[in-house]
Amino acid sequence: METKPTNKVQLGQTSSSITRIAARRRSGPPPRRGYPWGKLGHYIYCSLSYIFLLSPMVVVIGASFHGGEYYTAIKFPPDDPSFQWYTKIPTAQFEALALSFGLAALAALGACIIGIPAALGIVRGVLPGRSVISSIFRAPLQIPAIVTGIAFLQLYYLFGDATGLYFQGTFLGLYIGHLFVATPFVIGTVTAILQRFDTRLEEAAFSLGANRWSTFWRVTLPVIKPGVYAGGLYSFMVSFGDVPISIFLTSPGFVTYPVELFYGMENDFDPSILASASLVIFFCLLVLLGMQKLVGLDTLLRSGSR
Amino acid sequence: MKTRWEIVLLPSFLLVGLLIVASQYVFLKGSFFKDLGLGRINDTATFVNYIRFFTDSFYLNTLWITVKTSALAALFTLILGFPVAYLIARMRSKWAMILLASIVVATFVTIVIKVFGLIIIFSADGLINQALMGLNIIDRPYTIIGNQTGVVVGLMHFTLGFGVLLLYSVIQTIPRSFEDAAQIHGASRWRMHLRVLLPLSLPGVTVGALMMFNMCMGAFTSAALLGGGRVFTLPVLIQRTVMMEIKYSMAGTLAAVLLITVLLINLLSIYLIHRLKSARLVIA
Repeated sequence: METKPTNKVQLGQTSSSITRIAARRRSGPPPRRGYPWGKLGHYIYCSLSYIFLLSPMVVVIGASFHGGEYYTAIKFPPDDPSFQWYTKIPTAQFEALALSFGLAALAALGACIIGIPAALGIVRGVLPGRSVISSIFRAPLQIPAIVTGIAFLQLYYLFGDATGLYFQGTFLGLYIGHLFVATPFVIGTVTAILQRFDTRLEEAAFSLGANRWSTFWRVTLPVIKPGVYAGGLYSFMVSFGDVPISIFLTSPGFVTYPVELFYGMENDFDPSILASASLVIFFCLLVLLGMQKLVGLDTLLRSGSR
Repeated sequence: MKTRWEIVLLPSFLLVGLLIVASQYVFLKGSFFKDLGLGRINDTATFVNYIRFFTDSFYLNTLWITVKTSALAALFTLILGFPVAYLIARMRSKWAMILLASIVVATFVTIVIKVFGLIIIFSADGLINQALMGLNIIDRPYTIIGNQTGVVVGLMHFTLGFGVLLLYSVIQTIPRSFEDAAQIHGASRWRMHLRVLLPLSLPGVTVGALMMFNMCMGAFTSAALLGGGRVFTLPVLIQRTVMMEIKYSMAGTLAAVLLITVLLINLLSIYLIHRLKSARLVIA
């Protein structure tokens, strides 16, 4: 911290010199925003970042309207715009989309059911080694995703050999894997909100005769709602876009959309995946707009910060 | 009023703990057995897989490429992302919401779709190659598929959205008045950045960079699709070892090495941050 200028003013200077300094400060240039390369330079730099970030999605949407033949089907900018690929999306892709959607929705729900009590416990419980416990809850995010995938695959093999119940390639097996990585997001966002929670609200509800359940449903839950929405949204999206875990836990004929797309790009390339990918981008946009209406983007992100 | 919150926590803790311990135990244990082919595993424990990993230059090179591409991707994500996060965090107009929303959408769209777009952009008759060849800068199409540049670009697309959101929340916690104060006292814009913003945001930025590095180390999709079967990172190799060679033990060894490398690098960074703090290079 630089304290020299203030010292000069504080230590025994006459009031006239103070007003003189103040006048000079006032007439001087107002504080600028801190853009080291100036405002224009900063805007140009950020535009480049945005172009880098958004161009692949723009290109996918653009190319999906290309009207050419099958083998020349990928072209950006598109010639002869048409919706032909949108009408040719095979049912397998829709099935995969439905599976991914159901899986992600249930993963978000499950993450809330596990995550909210965990967050309440972490913030309010009398816990020995609170930081250790909360880092255990956050551990699934530290474990590389591919490691989680292979770990669950091997766990299911072992469990199957022991009990005869094989989970790999089943919905439940896939679900447990997704739940594992989705839960920390809800815990993180709800914990962040709970740390600023005024417990007097709950005391008031109690003293007015509410029992524990109605206090939770009618006081606690509404207050932590932005955190629940934010965590739920993150876990939905993480599950909806996951490849490294799903690729081990799915089986032929039972694949999530990103995995279907992954195999589609590695093997037999079908231009209709451009169309379905564009639909997914629009879907993400819609979800975001819905969230913006529901809780507001700002609250959503602020509760996500640790 | 006496709710025992630690009991509320217990079921979740047991479930998560059980899943962590069970899944990690199984593959770590498996990594000590020798593959007999076709998914069968010898039943005497040895270090043979680990010895093979640390004596085979192919595996060691894979580990090096994984760490290198992840570190580069995290670094470039910071360089591209920090100014954007700063811009949005300090913006007062309605545009901030729109800029932020497009970052969130980019974060949520699955990486497979983004890699798809990248492949179209860099294809032989794609935009970039047509432009560069039209201007006679290059005489043969440049591709990012099958080289490390491509993998780094792919990883950056995986982390950039998350990175900007993280940095945004870090910068938001630094009051704007600190910057104004520094500038009123005569600091230039660069000086303000170096002496005020950087020290205050460094802990958050480091945590963010580590998180991006961790994501990259586990990232399979972009590395597999843009590596094109020529650049192998550990995640790609793990998937191949399981799916094509059906060697679960070797895959377990690779996964164990990946996990331990990530943990070691994280611990080292946290240690370094503590050293920086005690050396008073970082305030807060």
